[in-house]
Amino acid sequence: MQTLRAEWVKLRSEPGLVVSAVALFVATAGMALLSLSRAEAPACPPEFPGCELPVVDVVRLTLSGVYPGQIFAVVLATLTVADEYETGLIVTTLVGSPRRLRVVAGKAIVATGVVGLAGAAAVAASVLAGRLILPGRGFTTAAGYPPLSATDPTVLRAAGGTALYLVLVALLACGVAFTLRDTTASLVTVLGLLFVLPLAGAWLNHETLSEWTQRYAPMPAGLSIQTTVGPADLPISGWAGLGVLALWAAAAVVSGGASVTLRDA
Amino acid sequence: MSVSIDARRIEVRELRKRYGRTVAVDGVSFTVEPGRVTGFVGPNGAGKSTTLRLILGLDRPDAGTTLVGGRAYRDLRQPLREVGSLLDPAAVHPRRRARAHLLWQARSNGLPARRVEEVLDQVGLAAAARKRAGGFSLGMRARLGIAAALLGDPPVLLLDEPVNGLDPEGIAWMRGLLRALAAEGRTVFVSSHLMGELEDAADHIIVIGRGRILADASVADLRERASSGRVALRTTRRPEAIALLAGNGATVATTGGEQLTVEGLPADRVVELLTGAGLPFSEVTSHRASLEEAYMELTRDAVEFGAPSVTVHTAPSEGTEVPR
Repeated sequence: MQTLRAEWVKLRSEPGLVVSAVALFVATAGMALLSLSRAEAPACPPEFPGCELPVVDVVRLTLSGVYPGQIFAVVLATLTVADEYETGLIVTTLVGSPRRLRVVAGKAIVATGVVGLAGAAAVAASVLAGRLILPGRGFTTAAGYPPLSATDPTVLRAAGGTALYLVLVALLACGVAFTLRDTTASLVTVLGLLFVLPLAGAWLNHETLSEWTQRYAPMPAGLSIQTTVGPADLPISGWAGLGVLALWAAAAVVSGGASVTLRDA
Repeated sequence: MSVSIDARRIEVRELRKRYGRTVAVDGVSFTVEPGRVTGFVGPNGAGKSTTLRLILGLDRPDAGTTLVGGRAYRDLRQPLREVGSLLDPAAVHPRRRARAHLLWQARSNGLPARRVEEVLDQVGLAAAARKRAGGFSLGMRARLGIAAALLGDPPVLLLDEPVNGLDPEGIAWMRGLLRALAAEGRTVFVSSHLMGELEDAADHIIVIGRGRILADASVADLRERASSGRVALRTTRRPEAIALLAGNGATVATTGGEQLTVEGLPADRVVELLTGAGLPFSEVTSHRASLEEAYMELTRDAVEFGAPSVTVHTAPSEGTEVPR
């Protein structure tokens, strides 16, 4: 509890961390606003009335702010940990709290807690924006798109899953930072895992690898929870995908915990 | 040896630690007693910081134990209430304000926020409490580090080079503070790579070099031990004086002009011999080693990164002589 209180004071007294939390909200909600206001419902050309139209996953579109937003979740979690190694403050932290796993837990809880709050707020704002903007872009009840509702289990699952996704990404970053003890190396590693790994298959033109990354790379796996249209042909189902991300995060945290307890400070 | 459970005693036994292929601490044992300032002195790279890190449980020793008040540091539940430490004054987050820097440390040990204001006052930083630590001078950072060490009002203080980089006013302040803390019965353990920094502050000195303890003695003993008994004098009849003194077992060196340096005979015996032989002499000075010289003597072979062939062995220049 004391470690938690200490970590909370640290977070709120470091402008860089506060800015990261705000940026997480602004990027997530802002990107949602941008994509929503540019979206257009598919319509049949006048000469072919009654044509077959593709179904747009408006929930996924509404929650697309998570793509830029997660960068700030990663930055916040990484700075929380790696900045202490860069400034030498980790020594002060461990001298005050010699039980090291408590320090890992305290930092992880505070960082993911703040990311969770900012993420949940951003997701809620995005859903509200979707509800208000989508009908004006042609996504009307008549066209088969009822207004987004926070009580709709499909929307709730996708929105809650997105907030959870941000929390797990932050946890992953925490664990990596405790392992690598370096801001740049941690950021490169985590952002690489998230953004570059899913592209590896396509770059290498390797089909099996592509399939594998769609299923097991942290971002595509974790964000499959956002899919509300045609979930049957997904590489991995929503909750299983979040489970995969949770395993990545758990592995990183175990590695970080081992690094902190077994290595010299 | 009886095991003491004085809550203020620091005990280090047979401590060993290597980093890769470098042996940092090589079988170090000592005890730091309460109620006095104990200096921990050695050249850069001698193992001072390593020893302090091992005492604070930051690094794991390869062998040996360190105890504070009879317990391992890692077993302390509210360590800041028992041991105050300063390892690196530069270890602050540049964007965090001084007050918050202390507040999170207070929170980590369940100390009231009131303590933050108290220690800021104590070190003279009250006016800078709302400033970001990144803008602090070296001296201000040292004060902030001391403030953090004092947060829990601990009976034991462990300070690594607290005087390093301070201006003369800061050094005087730090010395006064160290003495005051020891006078309150606290254990004050202060490292430095310059003996001179501790000359007027420490009561007891532990000298370390190349990972080994070279001396563990009171300041008075250390001075005594290093005094080489050199006597300098001036005479117009040098050759006769040299012959006489050398004939009585002394080693005599000429140091220019009419100056002689005599080793191996006490000053009163030198005077007696010269007077008996009717040789004129003047300006007899007995050389008394400063703490710094005692230290140089002890660590001569233990300087890790010293310049080659430092000429410590030459006769003392007139400037270092202290007339008795």
